[in-house]
Amino acid sequence: MTLADQLGGYLSDLWSEIVVVENLSRIPGGASRETYRFDAVTKTGSRGLILRRDPADSLIDTDRRVEYLAYESFHPLGIPTPEPIKLEVAAAALERPFFLMSRIEGGAAASPFAIDPYAPHAATIGEQFFTLLGRIAAADPQALPISTVCEAPALGACWSRELAHWERELDKDELHPQPIARAAIRWLRRNPPPPAQKISVVHGDYRSGNFMHDGAGRILAVLDWEMAHLGDPLEDLGWAIDPLWSHFETERVSGLLPRAEAIALWEKASGLTVDPAALAWWELFSSFKGLVIWVSAARSYRDGGMSDPVLGFSGWYTARRHDVIIAERLEKLLADRMEKAA
Amino acid sequence: MTPNLPELLMGNLIAISTPPPPESAGEFAGGRIGVIGMISFMAAQEAEKGVAVRVAENRAIRALFADAVKEGWAPSLASLDALAKGEDDDLTLSGVDAANATLRRALIPLHAAIEDAPGAEGRAREVRILKLLREGAQSRALSLPGM
Repeated sequence: MTLADQLGGYLSDLWSEIVVVENLSRIPGGASRETYRFDAVTKTGSRGLILRRDPADSLIDTDRRVEYLAYESFHPLGIPTPEPIKLEVAAAALERPFFLMSRIEGGAAASPFAIDPYAPHAATIGEQFFTLLGRIAAADPQALPISTVCEAPALGACWSRELAHWERELDKDELHPQPIARAAIRWLRRNPPPPAQKISVVHGDYRSGNFMHDGAGRILAVLDWEMAHLGDPLEDLGWAIDPLWSHFETERVSGLLPRAEAIALWEKASGLTVDPAALAWWELFSSFKGLVIWVSAARSYRDGGMSDPVLGFSGWYTARRHDVIIAERLEKLLADRMEKAA
Repeated sequence: MTPNLPELLMGNLIAISTPPPPESAGEFAGGRIGVIGMISFMAAQEAEKGVAVRVAENRAIRALFADAVKEGWAPSLASLDALAKGEDDDLTLSGVDAANATLRRALIPLHAAIEDAPGAEGRAREVRILKLLREGAQSRALSLPGM
């Protein structure tokens, strides 16, 4: 039985009517979920949907319930996201857990490694990008469905919880010794940030390439919430402006806006203030987290019989990019410290 | 570093020669071929410079260890003395990678000890280690084709 047949059978049971799945097509990009677009056709019409299914091998291990509830949390708040339709945690229907959501038409996500992918709309998109992130930061997580599955850390424990998590992942998946990542861990532990101003929903992978835009300057959907959790809202800001996602630019963060403008937009939308020292901590942490994700990708690539080239690419090219980024940051942090001490 | 060049090229062959299911034959297969192409593009860079980059990094770490032993940077440096005197006899990628792993493993605790060392001398040594790490990372960096 094909995946389309399995999916049609599942939807027929779910909606208590005959459903035929047409135009089922896997979408490239991303390695933490298999993503498919399809049309669910009934006698009354056709509906465009997206299937997100757990993969056999993943770049990151995440709970699909968290991702689904993130969509449930932010779709009603007007953050552009697909409408969640159904979460299925049992593996029986499609061999692995999955969820369904509405399909948003008329847009595309940029490759994170494309050069100037948003021209000539970079500034307009940047304004939306950082404002939306500020709105996510401003939301009260306790009022949202995602809080039923995500534990809220104490304000002062956000940084240590995240650092400990990603250090464990590095310990688990490291194949070749990583002196730069280890140096970053030591710096992060020696120089903790101040407590978070508030606990927010952290998207966890909010960056260029993880949103759809219409090619005319409008963001249509914020995607890929699989690493969502509760924590310090500066975590998302640090990740969004990581140099890996800058499209090889040094003057505009995320290839969208000058850094100061991006931060000002985020502050206005979130109602929060960016402490430069705290953001510097989360920026180094973000690069470290990225490197660990790529180390894990390399492990998954090898363990999975080298069958997924996306994992190979991530565990190789992007790992080396983040090694450089972290090493340069550590050098600058030491230089700043020595200058202060002088 | 992992994955290594033979694994990546073998992986490319596996990915190309595995027939996709019907739902993955269109856009997804096209994207996959694009990633395979980028890996091949960078594999050419790695084939050209991979051994030289690792030999240079190994040499720099050994020189650092030699100075650390000579100048007594930290306690218990006896194990570094033997590593400092080593050489890259096996000039295959896997050979220099294995030597690099041994050297990096020993560098991590030395670096941590230097960070704890007070004073200008400690900072100067920390600067040297970070420069070594940054230069090593930069020399390993790969370039993508313009997109």
